[in-house]
Amino acid sequence: MLSFIVNSYSSRAYRTIGSVHAQVYTPAGRTTAVSVQGSETVVSLDGVTKTYELGGTVEALSDVSLSLEEGSYTAVMGPSGSGKSTLLNLIGGLDTPTEGEVRVRNNDLAGLSEDERAELRGTEVGFVFQTFNLLPRLTARKNVAMPLSFSGVPRDERLERAASLLEDVGLGDRLDHRPPELSGGQRQRVAIARALAPEPSVLLADEPTGNVDTGTGERIMDVFGDLSGSGNSILLVTHERRIAEHADRIVHIRDGEVEDIEEV
Amino acid sequence: MDLRDAVGMAAGALWSQRLRSALTVLGIGLGTAAVVTFVTFGASLRADVVGQIDTSTANNIYLLSTPSDEEGFPERPQPVFTERDLSELRSIEGVDRVVPQGTVGISSITFSNSTLARQSVTATTPEAFSGISFRQGEPFESGTDEAVINRRAATVFEQNLSVGDEVSITRRSNETVDATVVGIVNRTSSQLPFQTFVQQPRFYLPTEPHYDAVVESPSLGVNQRAYPQVTAVADPSELSGTRERVRSYLNDSDASGLQPPGYSLSARTGGDIADGLEELINRLTRFVTGLAVISLFVGAVGIANIMLVSVTERTREIGIMKSVGARNRDVLLVFLIEAALLGAVGSLIALPIGVAGGWIATSYADIPLTLVPFWFGVAVLVGIAVGVVAGLYPAWRAARVDPIDALRRE
Repeated sequence: MLSFIVNSYSSRAYRTIGSVHAQVYTPAGRTTAVSVQGSETVVSLDGVTKTYELGGTVEALSDVSLSLEEGSYTAVMGPSGSGKSTLLNLIGGLDTPTEGEVRVRNNDLAGLSEDERAELRGTEVGFVFQTFNLLPRLTARKNVAMPLSFSGVPRDERLERAASLLEDVGLGDRLDHRPPELSGGQRQRVAIARALAPEPSVLLADEPTGNVDTGTGERIMDVFGDLSGSGNSILLVTHERRIAEHADRIVHIRDGEVEDIEEV
Repeated sequence: MDLRDAVGMAAGALWSQRLRSALTVLGIGLGTAAVVTFVTFGASLRADVVGQIDTSTANNIYLLSTPSDEEGFPERPQPVFTERDLSELRSIEGVDRVVPQGTVGISSITFSNSTLARQSVTATTPEAFSGISFRQGEPFESGTDEAVINRRAATVFEQNLSVGDEVSITRRSNETVDATVVGIVNRTSSQLPFQTFVQQPRFYLPTEPHYDAVVESPSLGVNQRAYPQVTAVADPSELSGTRERVRSYLNDSDASGLQPPGYSLSARTGGDIADGLEELINRLTRFVTGLAVISLFVGAVGIANIMLVSVTERTREIGIMKSVGARNRDVLLVFLIEAALLGAVGSLIALPIGVAGGWIATSYADIPLTLVPFWFGVAVLVGIAVGVVAGLYPAWRAARVDPIDALRRE
């Protein structure tokens, strides 16, 4: 099958990319299109249970097994309190499972130290939050470059890469604007660029359209669509079917259990 | 995260809260400035005093009978050293000469038509002037009505006194001594080292015939003159040995038998007294600096307080940093640097303020300003250290923020 290795940002490869699997960080506008085949698993959950002690034992997830293939686009749908955010936090290495195994790119998260999980968050996953979670006093460019500062990418290089990513999401003329000077949609695109900065194995989006109007939400989903089209693995959490339908498959989750997996 | 990035991040956070940062900096800055002020003042005082100590008195051994619990400046010494003590002291090895000094109670001194009310004049022997250069004239002779005065005394009357002038001294007994001024000096060899600080007018008369404090010598059983202060001038080559021999003599001197209970005899060299004085100033400086250090603590508490507020306010920011890969130590570093920056900037602005304070204090005390750059360096380091110490707990709290809780916050 035809595959390309595309690294359009600098001559330096951020991570070794296998010849079979190409990763492209390019949303709309880039001419290179890559199809990904014979995919390997980027994220797998095996019998994952997560319980919290909140005056009694609360089971947020119960025996969940799920795997995400490289380049796949998955939506997790469920009502609030169903455990979908917990699922995201576990994959993102913010939380650890009570039982079972969570693997991201073959790293068993339970076996990682706190520092190693922080490193994983800075290199293997990219979070996109409902409330954007940008640092208001930093410019768009510095917000995008921030994850790279924790993984030791030199300053000039990460600022250059941040500028290029912002251009890709259509904010090339907003590099030095601070989040309060940007619209909700623009802020979310800055957040997406930030999530892409470390070339993560998987993008984790938690209700990314929850804080913007319907029209803006659609445009953000278009960005995700383009990212998926260029080979990024995406896990999207939402409670709206309309949003979930942008994905290739929808994992229905209720009361901490996977109810159904629906191919779209 | 490298140090430069962390500093940039910390500086950005402080800059985004400019007023608050400025006030915190002011707090620690004023504390450090107070320390710098007092240290500068102490150093200036010390330099001034040490500079004024008459080093030519280093070989003098001063014998005094003073209350045992009194330190520093001897006040109102008792007349306990008899003529027999003087002659015994003169025979001690290493003692070049022995100069007694006492006071003669008077009521006034008149020169020309102007009269000066005065409590006492000093009675001493011609040896007090041996080795002293005279501005005018020469030492008095024993058994005469000649007087020697110091420079200041020459100018206290309407007309300036000079050699050959006659002053009439009215004693307490109303008897009048008409003394002829034969010499004008800057100082005497028996003068205590710090008596040159304040130039008071001094009049010297020979002990014979003017000094009349008499006691019965316990060892000889006869009445003799007794003096409150005796100076033994030692051979410089064996000063400390001579001092020890003088001390051991004091144990069976007439003076030890005559002194009132609670008094003790001391034999201290000019160097001992100068050291004591220096130590006194150092102790004073340390005490006042200690007080100023309290304000440094206040500044440190200010930093700790504002950093804790900052950690609470920026919990979400910490969560964001952690979600994009910040390790605990990265967060710790950023917050520690913030606190250290507050301390460092505070102590940097403290230097000019503190030096200005020192300048004001020294001008007020009328002593020359002495700057000690070493202490400026210490002040800046202490400022940074105070910031770091004050920031430790807040930074530790920041590092331990749970990203999930933090991100859930609004």
